[in-house]
Amino acid sequence: MKFVIDHLRKGYGKKEVLRDASFTFESGKIYGLLGRNGAGKTTLFNCLNRDLVCDGGEFYFESNEGRRELQADDVGYVLSTPTVPEFLTGREFLKFFLDINRASIPSPEPLDAYFDEMSIAPEDRDKLMKDYSHGMKNKMQMLIQMIAQPNLFLLDEPLTSLDVVVAEEMKARLRSMREGRVTIFSTHLLDLAVDLCDEIVLLSHGTLELVEQSALDDEAFKEKILAALREDSHA
Amino acid sequence: MLNTFLLSYSLKNTYRVNSILYALKQVPLLKRLLPDSLYSVRGLKIFANVLAALWEAATIFAGKLIYLFLMLFLPCISRTELDAAALALHILLPLTILGAFSNTYLFNPTRDKYYAVILMRMDARSYALSTYGYALGKYVVGMLGSLLLFGALLRLPLWLSLVFPFFAAGCKLLVVQISLWDYRRRGFVSNENKLGKFTWLLMALLLLASYLPPAFGLFLPLPVSCAVMAAGILAGLVSLRGLLTFREFRSMYQRLLPQAMNRSAASAQAVKARTEKYITEDGSFTSRREGFEFLNELFIRRHQKILWKSAKRIAGGALVLFALAAAGLAFFPGAKEPVNSLLLVYLPYFTFIMYAINRGTSFTQALFLNCDHSLLTYPFYKKPDMVLRLFRIRLREIMKINLLPAAVIGLGLPALLYLSGGTDNPLNYAVLLVSILSMSMFFSVHYLTIYYLLQPYNAGTELKSGTYRLVLMATYLVCYFLMMQRIPILLFGALCILFCVLYCVAACVLVYRLAPKTFRIRP
Repeated sequence: MKFVIDHLRKGYGKKEVLRDASFTFESGKIYGLLGRNGAGKTTLFNCLNRDLVCDGGEFYFESNEGRRELQADDVGYVLSTPTVPEFLTGREFLKFFLDINRASIPSPEPLDAYFDEMSIAPEDRDKLMKDYSHGMKNKMQMLIQMIAQPNLFLLDEPLTSLDVVVAEEMKARLRSMREGRVTIFSTHLLDLAVDLCDEIVLLSHGTLELVEQSALDDEAFKEKILAALREDSHA
Repeated sequence: MLNTFLLSYSLKNTYRVNSILYALKQVPLLKRLLPDSLYSVRGLKIFANVLAALWEAATIFAGKLIYLFLMLFLPCISRTELDAAALALHILLPLTILGAFSNTYLFNPTRDKYYAVILMRMDARSYALSTYGYALGKYVVGMLGSLLLFGALLRLPLWLSLVFPFFAAGCKLLVVQISLWDYRRRGFVSNENKLGKFTWLLMALLLLASYLPPAFGLFLPLPVSCAVMAAGILAGLVSLRGLLTFREFRSMYQRLLPQAMNRSAASAQAVKARTEKYITEDGSFTSRREGFEFLNELFIRRHQKILWKSAKRIAGGALVLFALAAAGLAFFPGAKEPVNSLLLVYLPYFTFIMYAINRGTSFTQALFLNCDHSLLTYPFYKKPDMVLRLFRIRLREIMKINLLPAAVIGLGLPALLYLSGGTDNPLNYAVLLVSILSMSMFFSVHYLTIYYLLQPYNAGTELKSGTYRLVLMATYLVCYFLMMQRIPILLFGALCILFCVLYCVAACVLVYRLAPKTFRIRP
């Protein structure tokens, strides 16, 4: 399965943020999306999540059976600030989610098994989520996405405000989840992108392009990425 | 110092001009006509500068004219039998002292001051003194002109109008001097927007002193008032010296001016935090339901503070009022006839009451901030059939909550009508009840519909939709307008029921057609 972005265009007033962005993402890989401030990373994600209406172009899944439009539950979108319904406990949120998605998750595991897997402590499972820490909320959000198994997984700066321990856990989690889906990960941290991602994609001048690592070691690769980003001087 | 003043004035003017342009860009139709680069378009800038200059000129007199008209002219014009000069001074003296506390200018933290002194590091002392001097001068000129006008109308002696503005300026200087002294003594920074309890009490007493004694024909004799005025002017002169020798403006402004910024910058977050406080812990409670019914039951239960509890309180209050009214009718049979005739034409008034007691806005706000804000980022929540299923559940809930007070009012009004002598046409009772209930239904549907169709919030929980604000304002204006109308029960009731039913049907059709597309977080 592939995820194809085809000549996507989006502008605000006269300013074109995305102009003819085209790219083919392969499933099973984590893509690091890099771009200068204002390059349009969030706009791209909002378009793919259909929170914004595009001015032109299209995006779809392509497999041996042909093209398929994205459905609402194909996309999992994780924002940099974790969002969970604060008036529910972690357990209630999980139960609600499993209730609603019974059709797609016919035989769920017991709730505690999910919490164990995410290493959420037993005493936290029945607390209202308004009292959760930032890292805990983030874990809850990732847990839901893990069960939902979205075909396209969009993450907007998800690790920036986590402590180092939770951040390492999340990285391992993302790596273990990458099979069978396209993961696109936007970040400003070059080291993180090179460390975690299988491919680096640049968003500059409103278009998407791959940065080939080929035979370069990590340091030389970073230099190459930086050089490419510097060219994008309008930011 | 002149240089500092010119710089600070042009900074303030730029800020004002850009605010005008920003406001123009928010108007729905103009928004499309204006270019994105409007802040660099010369013609628009000149236009906004003209507006800013007019505004500056208008502020010299407009406020003072309104103030003197309401506070001096209206109370004095009806008391021509009293000594005009003494009465005017008796009213003006305490009011002016009050104003010296509430309007110091120097201790009013505003954004343009923050930009100048904190961000651009202008010299705090010359900034404060020059802008204060300008503000005080503007005040004296405005007061002089306005007082000459109303003084002539009230036949006050000319010397009073000429001298009084300087007394007022003296009072302002004195209050500033006291605040500066307080800062030097114990480091207390006054902020005229956050006055202490003691100051509020003092101001209330001053207000009473202005109007209470004259109501009984008592007022300060003219020589006493003149002595107070002379003392005020002298105190002002002494204070002026203190102000000019004060050296700690920078340290004081570094503590005062940031208060201008965090007021609005954090407001969206503050609203979010406040709404989160409405969530009540209920310990052992768990819902036995499943899916959306489970979500809904927990939501309603944990938000009872703003939903059921306040609905019950309103219903209880209405019940007490009706009981009192019924008792009143029993004790004073003479009141029956006027009450009866009022009730027969007063139904439109209840549109406003039903508007005011409806829980719809708090419900939708809590729905977004505590629930949809987060859940709308999950894809399953946005599936069209899920959106509609939850809409149905929520509509049922909010109608139930609003129905309780509506039922009390809907039954209370016909009961009062009966107790006050009844009516020839029994249909009146039924129409009263049904129209109150349909108004309640209308508001429930209305708020939830505009929430689903316009979803006005963005991910930062800021209210972003101008259309949503306009609809809310229009709702208020219509209800306010109806409050003024006197229409017989049958006519208004029938129209009202018809409108509510049609509106609810149309709203639900629209939600079913459009909400799956419109109900999402604004980018």
